[in-house]
Amino acid sequence: MMRRTLNKIAIGIESTAHTAGVGLITSEGEILSNQRALYVPEEGGIHPREAANHHSKKLPDLFKSALEEANLTAADISLVSYARGPGLGPCLRTGATAARAFAYSHDIPLLGVNHCVAHLEIGLLEGATDPVLLYLSGANTQVIAYAAGRYRVFGETIDIGIGNGLDKFAREAGMGFPGGPKLEKVAKGDELLDLPYSVKGMDLAFSGLMTAAKQKLDAGHSLSTVAYSIQEIAFAMSCEVSERALAHTGKKELVLGGGVACNSRLREMINIMTEERGVKCFVPERALCVDNGVMIAWLGLQMMSTDYNITEKDNVVDQKYRTDMVEVTWR
Amino acid sequence: MAIKYRGAEAIVETRQWLGQEVIFKTRNKRGYRHPTLEKKLVKERLRSESRILERLISHGVKVPAVYSVDTSKNCIIMEFIDGITLEKALRGVNFEQYLAKTAKLLSLLHSLNVVHGDPTTSNFMVTDTVYAIDFGLSTISNDNEDRASDLRVFLESLDSHHSEISGREIFLSYYSKWNSSASVIKSLKILDLRGRYNLMRG
Repeated sequence: MMRRTLNKIAIGIESTAHTAGVGLITSEGEILSNQRALYVPEEGGIHPREAANHHSKKLPDLFKSALEEANLTAADISLVSYARGPGLGPCLRTGATAARAFAYSHDIPLLGVNHCVAHLEIGLLEGATDPVLLYLSGANTQVIAYAAGRYRVFGETIDIGIGNGLDKFAREAGMGFPGGPKLEKVAKGDELLDLPYSVKGMDLAFSGLMTAAKQKLDAGHSLSTVAYSIQEIAFAMSCEVSERALAHTGKKELVLGGGVACNSRLREMINIMTEERGVKCFVPERALCVDNGVMIAWLGLQMMSTDYNITEKDNVVDQKYRTDMVEVTWR
Repeated sequence: MAIKYRGAEAIVETRQWLGQEVIFKTRNKRGYRHPTLEKKLVKERLRSESRILERLISHGVKVPAVYSVDTSKNCIIMEFIDGITLEKALRGVNFEQYLAKTAKLLSLLHSLNVVHGDPTTSNFMVTDTVYAIDFGLSTISNDNEDRASDLRVFLESLDSHHSEISGREIFLSYYSKWNSSASVIKSLKILDLRGRYNLMRG
């Protein structure tokens, strides 16, 4: 599928939620830099404006250090790509503004791309060709696959994202942000508490699970047992819906993406499921699973590889930019 | 013995059994699950599926008859419906007739407080009439929102696989013949307006 003759370099700007990221990648798939800065709220959950302020402070330095690390100047860049959505409005606008400023001042084409699709496409860099993506992050929990010109959402959470659920429970248990990795550390034992397992076809729900888990904690069960049980149940639900999507679509590859995909127990369970099913599993390295600028740059390059015609609508942001709104012209 | 489908929780095979071809649906082990969860889910789902099928059969609904349930092997032995899927049938000339029968069948399920859970066009079989199959995700419920979610799944699979026919209107017009359908369709509208599914800007 080599349609490109010249090795182009793109810069990608990610700013949909907690993470401000600037990444550099070549059209051959060589990652030149992956700079990230994480907004951590002092207390409570994410505050969109505070997060946006954080990003606007950090982004200039991230641009600088990315270019320095890759030993490049703006003149070497042939595309500026940024996350157009979905995400938090103030954060998206901050990233887009930074991208515009960089693109216009150096006269480089500018392209806004879909954040969820970027998570999937970066998995293709690992060698997958036509996978099902299990995308587990803070706000997004989706099972995505390609069908008839679009990436379709086959299943998704019907209430909160899995990561938001984990964060919320961790916060209520006094552990702070980010909650997922903290829960993973304390999760111990083999005792499984009776918690709601909520799968409807290829859709799932997490809020009931997290509420029930908090009640178990209040009732005196140890944090390590509750954390262990949450992981076992929430990840088994995720495995089941992705296996159902594999069965339904007949596809033979699974790609993991999103911040929650960094969890070792989840990776282990997904590996067992795909092995039992005879399906290939691709797990990008942790720095590419979490929100990052590299995947945004990579998707931009993919879109441009087939002479994508950039119009004005590609230079705005869209908080509700759904996965299946993207017309896939590059494959 | 031939494997027909390897789903997310069960293997569906056709086998000879007491002199006829039948379906063996076996819920096989999932290694990724905690043993306690494995036991609980398999037991619950096996029981719920066989009970729901029996309830529907006793009301004369067109679903596979349950011949036997083997709890030691987590297996349901049931009638093999020898036909084509609705998905295929809708590509033929008689699609309106099949849609009408499917709508009637789904409203009958709903009137008996059964929600199918996954009523895509691949989960209906067409012979001389229309059968509903695969009750693995079914629940007993008289909640209009659950029923609406069934409608949503069906209409989505119509839209994505059969965009060439205006199946949505035909289906809903036949579903509306059920006298409690109005409140389900109202719930469907509310469901469609909810955040994750709508494309309203703002």
